[in-house]
Amino acid sequence: MNLEALSDNNLMMKVREGDLDKMGLLFERYKRPLYGFFYGLNKEQELSEDLVQNTFLRILKYRNLFRGEGDFRAWMFHIARNVNIDHHRKHRIKATEALENWQERVGHHENQSVEMQQNEEHRMLSMAMDRLPADKREVLLLSKFEERKYSEIGEVLGCTEGAVKVKVFRALQELKVIFKQLEKIS
Amino acid sequence: MDKLKIDELVEKYNEGLSDPAETKLLEQLIEKGEVDLTRLRELHALDEQILKVETPAPSLRLDDQFYAALANEKRQQKRALSFSLLSWDLFPRLAAAAVLILSGFAVGYFIQSPSQKTEVSELTKEVSDLKEMMMLSLLEKESATQRLRAVSLTSEMDQVSEKVTNALFTTLNQDENVNVRLAALEVLKRYSKSSEVRAQLIESIAFQDSPLVQIAMAELMVTIQEKKSVDALKQLLQNENTPKEIKTKISESIKVLI
Repeated sequence: MNLEALSDNNLMMKVREGDLDKMGLLFERYKRPLYGFFYGLNKEQELSEDLVQNTFLRILKYRNLFRGEGDFRAWMFHIARNVNIDHHRKHRIKATEALENWQERVGHHENQSVEMQQNEEHRMLSMAMDRLPADKREVLLLSKFEERKYSEIGEVLGCTEGAVKVKVFRALQELKVIFKQLEKIS
Repeated sequence: MDKLKIDELVEKYNEGLSDPAETKLLEQLIEKGEVDLTRLRELHALDEQILKVETPAPSLRLDDQFYAALANEKRQQKRALSFSLLSWDLFPRLAAAAVLILSGFAVGYFIQSPSQKTEVSELTKEVSDLKEMMMLSLLEKESATQRLRAVSLTSEMDQVSEKVTNALFTTLNQDENVNVRLAALEVLKRYSKSSEVRAQLIESIAFQDSPLVQIAMAELMVTIQEKKSVDALKQLLQNENTPKEIKTKISESIKVLI
């Protein structure tokens, strides 16, 4: 099989044509970035796994809508965003924690050990990310998992590439402020 | 705005000396693509660190759930597709064709000449191809009995093609009926000398959620002394859905293999 045949778009087209096993390849390729995205937003392992599952189920369900022209990864993250929004709309979770309550926001599950093993700076950066408003956190997570492909992120968010860069700029500015506050507290 | 002024604006921002109006102007330049985010030193350094923060990994539960859902979707897809080629109307026709071919074969057998021997081997191949076609069509049937019949047809074949072994593995991994799966495993045992079949058998372990099939697979691995199956068997042990009694049996098999 040549490399082109293994591209995301080609694999998804095969799934669309009925070769559902190819979905397994896409799952292996993206389960970790998707999980990282959901975990970064929600900080709950089981929920994040469920949301990854739901994303792939939705991709399977709507496979006939994939035209192969756009970017598969952008389409996937677009679906992932909607899965997250639907979940929170259903559960009506509101994030209103103040900066002083950041200790309560550390995850309550096995992945906590991974967070503790990171170096101090990364740990504080994770905590600072947790403190960002959801929309700013989301854009930085998309930037991370879509490898700073701002035009692709624009497809996911439904805005121009330039608008994405401004969103990233504003999110990083606020992250810098929070990070410096955490450095003072620790 | 000219390049020099832009450079001054960026430098002022990097020094932390920009006022709100200048920051707003900087945003506009970023939006237009005239200033790249990488030029903003502190923010760029922070962005670089975000990339390095380790992402936790999901548990095996995610894999189990996904592959179970995929298997289910594939089963539903098969049911939804209408195989007009594989309808009941075709089956009697296939059977009649088989009788004709076999009769021709029987007649030819008693009147053999060197050229006719070639014809006989061609007929043998036709019969074999027909059996294969019948087997593959029966595997698609709703009735478990017909699918069991398909698997038993395979045991009547002297040699099986890759298409047939692939179909057997699909059955082993996805058939909803445990008896059909066990029957497929029995047939595949006969071909376990092939390294490809052994590799696929190891992969199949992860697809099995029926205790009967799990035990049968563990026992088969011990029979064929396939040490490479240990990791896959260990994953079954780690799966919280595997019953305790099965875990005990699998542990025993692993001890023998190691």
